[in-house]
Amino acid sequence: MTKVDDNQATAEFPRPLLLTPAQDWAGWLVRKASRTALLAITATSILAVGLILVFIVREAWPFIRDRGLGDALGSTQWYPQAAGGREQFGMLALVFGSLYVTAGAMVLAVPMGILAAVVLSDIAPFSVRQAVKPVIELLAAIPSVAYGFFAVLVLAPLLQDRLGLTTGTNALNASVMLAIMAIPTIVSVAEDSLWAVGRELREASYACGATRAETLVKVVIPAAHNGIFAAVILGMMRAIGETMLVWMASGNACRIPSPWWNLTQSVRTMTATIAGEMGETPKGSVHYSALFVVGLMLLVVSMGANLVTEVLLLRARRSSGGRA
Amino acid sequence: MSIAVRQWLNRLFTIAALLSVVFIVAALVGILLPMVWRGGGAVVFRGTVEFRKMQLEQFGRGDTKAVRAEWEQAARLRQRAWDILDRFAAGLDTSDLQIKVRRIHRDLGDQLANRDLPRQELAHLRALSRQFRDDLLAALESGDKAQALARLQSVLDHADDPLLADTLAAGYFEVARRYEKTLVTVDLSRRAEYAQGIGEIRAILQNLLGPRPGERLPAIVMEQYGATRWDHAAQHLNRLLWAERWAPAGPGQPLRRVQVPREQQFAGTELAELFPFVRDNIREMLRPRWTVYWHYFTDDSTPGHYFGGVGPEILGTLLVTVLAIAFALPIGVITAGYLVECAADTLPTRMLRMAVNTLAGVPSIVFGLFGLAFFVIYLLPKLGLPEGSSIVAGALTLGLLVLPVVIRASEEAIRAVPQAYREAALSLGASRFRCFITVTLPAALPGVLTGLILSMSRAAGETAPILFTAAVAMGPIPSSLAQPTRTLAYSSYDMAVGDKMAAMAPHNQFGMVATLIAIVLLLNAAAIVLRGRISKRLRGQ
Amino acid sequence: MIRKKVIGLLAAAVLVVVGSVAYLAQAQDAKAPAPARPMTLQIEGSTTVGPIADEFTEAFKKLHPDITITVKKTGSGDGAAALIDGRCQIATMSRFMKPDEFKKAVDKGVLPVAHAIALDAVCVIVHPSNPVANLSVQQVQDIYTGKITNWKELGGADAPIVVISRDTSSGTYESFSHIVMGKEKMAQTVEYVNSNPQAHSRVATTTGAIGYVGLGFVDDKVKALTVNGVIPNKKTITAGQYPISRPLFLFTNGYPELGSNVHAFCSFYLTEKGQEIIEAKGFIPMTSY
Repeated sequence: MTKVDDNQATAEFPRPLLLTPAQDWAGWLVRKASRTALLAITATSILAVGLILVFIVREAWPFIRDRGLGDALGSTQWYPQAAGGREQFGMLALVFGSLYVTAGAMVLAVPMGILAAVVLSDIAPFSVRQAVKPVIELLAAIPSVAYGFFAVLVLAPLLQDRLGLTTGTNALNASVMLAIMAIPTIVSVAEDSLWAVGRELREASYACGATRAETLVKVVIPAAHNGIFAAVILGMMRAIGETMLVWMASGNACRIPSPWWNLTQSVRTMTATIAGEMGETPKGSVHYSALFVVGLMLLVVSMGANLVTEVLLLRARRSSGGRA
Repeated sequence: MSIAVRQWLNRLFTIAALLSVVFIVAALVGILLPMVWRGGGAVVFRGTVEFRKMQLEQFGRGDTKAVRAEWEQAARLRQRAWDILDRFAAGLDTSDLQIKVRRIHRDLGDQLANRDLPRQELAHLRALSRQFRDDLLAALESGDKAQALARLQSVLDHADDPLLADTLAAGYFEVARRYEKTLVTVDLSRRAEYAQGIGEIRAILQNLLGPRPGERLPAIVMEQYGATRWDHAAQHLNRLLWAERWAPAGPGQPLRRVQVPREQQFAGTELAELFPFVRDNIREMLRPRWTVYWHYFTDDSTPGHYFGGVGPEILGTLLVTVLAIAFALPIGVITAGYLVECAADTLPTRMLRMAVNTLAGVPSIVFGLFGLAFFVIYLLPKLGLPEGSSIVAGALTLGLLVLPVVIRASEEAIRAVPQAYREAALSLGASRFRCFITVTLPAALPGVLTGLILSMSRAAGETAPILFTAAVAMGPIPSSLAQPTRTLAYSSYDMAVGDKMAAMAPHNQFGMVATLIAIVLLLNAAAIVLRGRISKRLRGQ
Repeated sequence: MIRKKVIGLLAAAVLVVVGSVAYLAQAQDAKAPAPARPMTLQIEGSTTVGPIADEFTEAFKKLHPDITITVKKTGSGDGAAALIDGRCQIATMSRFMKPDEFKKAVDKGVLPVAHAIALDAVCVIVHPSNPVANLSVQQVQDIYTGKITNWKELGGADAPIVVISRDTSSGTYESFSHIVMGKEKMAQTVEYVNSNPQAHSRVATTTGAIGYVGLGFVDDKVKALTVNGVIPNKKTITAGQYPISRPLFLFTNGYPELGSNVHAFCSFYLTEKGQEIIEAKGFIPMTSY
């Protein structure tokens, strides 16, 4: 058998098949340059996050340098404008408030979102899917200010009059509205990934005699776990970062509800604190820095939530046999 | 588990899933429908002759002759209503006479200043005018007839002063004589009883019918016209006919709301005939007619968005959104492509993913502040643009906001393209780049379009990022991308936290929100149709 | 076919980017000749004073049609920062500049001058069905510090008090807290809302609520209490009898040059039309024509 040498010209091909960089320096340059360009464009997101982090830390630094984080993380007393140098910047209640309404929203949104995604991808006919999917995405089109109006003008009086609560703007109100806001994101992305699982897996499962519920719960959803995690993360990020709605709907009382499981009491989130107080604060004052510390904590909390989800994802991937 | 149990579980699952969809659609309908319905009321409504007059005077639209003719016809009836009120209120409510006296003092001062008199004479005349004003005001406010008459007399004593001849001081004397005549007939003790009611009724009539013809126009446009919409007019009419009082219901009990017909309140006086008269003739006075205000989408608005439309806001929203997507889409798709195609599952890649997720979690207000500090203050001046808000800065900030959504959705879409497609392309001799552009990307297009739809909706509706970077509450239509602009999201936020306009013009607030939703719908519809077509083609139909 | 569509989309995106660059280039050319007198007036600052600035702008445009005025309403602090950075010529503020802001301004060579254009009163409001009609300053303080928690302690119905306050950096809050709260801190159960209309709508829809808003927001949907027996109206406020009131400011860099647009805008409140506008917006004018 003749040895095929790729770097030798033969009769059929005037040029060798595999060119070294020396032989085709233009092509090599183009490849290298385009890869670098691609990397640069991709790095925009990292660059943006980096810049935002730098910006936040730079503005938050005076507070951390002068007062330290002990009091901030240990107390719930947030009185930034108290007179006579007795300002207090206890952020515990704010962190709790954010996590509280986000957890409440996710408890409502994740099951409903995944179930709705399942309906769209498996249960409903294709024409219904084509019709209903844009309708659900329409929920994402409503601006958060409009949700805020709804929460204050309709939902709050409803909670007060029908359920007899003392106040209608509370954690329950905020959680329900945040769930409604997060659902379109979850449904859309989860549905796309369920769709992408493909027919073979489903048909194989049906062929083994599983019911539709079992196929979905035990085969399809685990197979699409990547996309579903992505959907849940996006929805959770939307809920944590939402400003306008919680500013209007959660009541903004800076405290931890007592007892802690009482959703009908007012809470305050970190985003509402930043949005509500940033506009009127003198730039460069202690209050201003404290607000950026709150922003930093918000980032830390969301990065922490991300990490937890990534770890869960890794575990799920390993246990499901490594299908990425 | 037995088959029956499994089948029951299956049915339960299906029901639960369907219920979720039902709840989501119900939430959508419950939130969206009232908004769109009331927003539609900003475009389709029953407009009165005041509306047509306002359109003619403020926007130059409409048939002058027809509007004037209608106005003349309505004015006759209105005049009667005002006359009834005047006849009753003479002596009891002297607020318009007080305003007139103050105006005479100001105008007289201007007139004397323009006459170039010697300083001493000027000072003497000014002091006289001040004395007249104070005396007349005291007389008008006084509840003691004798005291009031005494004050009026002290003013009229100067009626023949030669220095005051052919000046505007004649107005003082006219007011004094007129009030003297009224005082003779009226019973001042009723003033306390009726003063508040008359003040309320006068305010409601002004809201209904606008300022009285012949009276000076109020300073702000909102008060220069009466009720321009029939639904507002109906509300004002209700307040005119029924007074709302809160009556005690017992010790330690909240007050009860009681509606008292005003006719009853003023029974036996000359004012009682005003209420049935207005109630029966309100249609003739206002002439409501179904109006379709298409120009709502192109007109500029008066301060506070009370009259007019949302034209500049629509333009601003479109500019900012489309530009933001133009920034975010290429970067997002390329990043997603790199993540899927070129990157191995190494630490830098995981860091990149974490960075994307972190970006998704940054609250929109922090984006706004970052946009202000980085784009507006630092970057754009370096590129030579004038410092200050601009559409470009807002679009860049919004682009960063929606970048994670685009990246995630595109990544999922590209990842979902079957490996078989790539292998087929590569086996035909395509390079990896060519394969990506011609095979993978088109196959992933539906998913990418999903990301596009979600991010467009988000970008159009966000307020906080453009708060500091691109949006102004009031300003001209932008002539270049380096200028700030009004947007629908910011203007509806502005109306909600501004002055009481929002409560008085809810149709405009809802109109803005409904327009925003309509715009996003239109932008989305194009993308959805495209996605549907591409999906069908990919499924082989 | 799909490839053509992809190329079409890419081409559209490129067109948009190129178009915007061209737009920007054209803008730069248009800005080349520097105008003799600044034809743009930028106003930034408070959401309370903002509506007055809006109406002044409209009136101004009729008098001087060749001037473009932009108004932004994000907060007093933002207005001060913009004035210090030179991004605006007039800052509307519902509070006086704080010492930090003054220091920063002077360091940058900006000398802030305050023009007090109107007075605003802070009215304590409750739901109209609430039988309570008068409270003393001490009682209001006790409600907000959490010492009094039920309306029956004040002679009203047996219902818990829902305490509503403005957010801690607003000028309304500052006036209220300075005069009513003194050195006391508000209770942790106090709810915060972000604007006057929000406070108004919360109190109007909640029977047990108490809150405070600016004078212009008191209408028949809420009931304004008399504080220490004094009803908040124009007479009592200008006489200083009503205890909770504050001035509204326009800040400029130095006293504006006489005859310039900035000067005309800043002294508009002294005219008759300015007074009418301020009164129509529900504030108390400084003049009394």
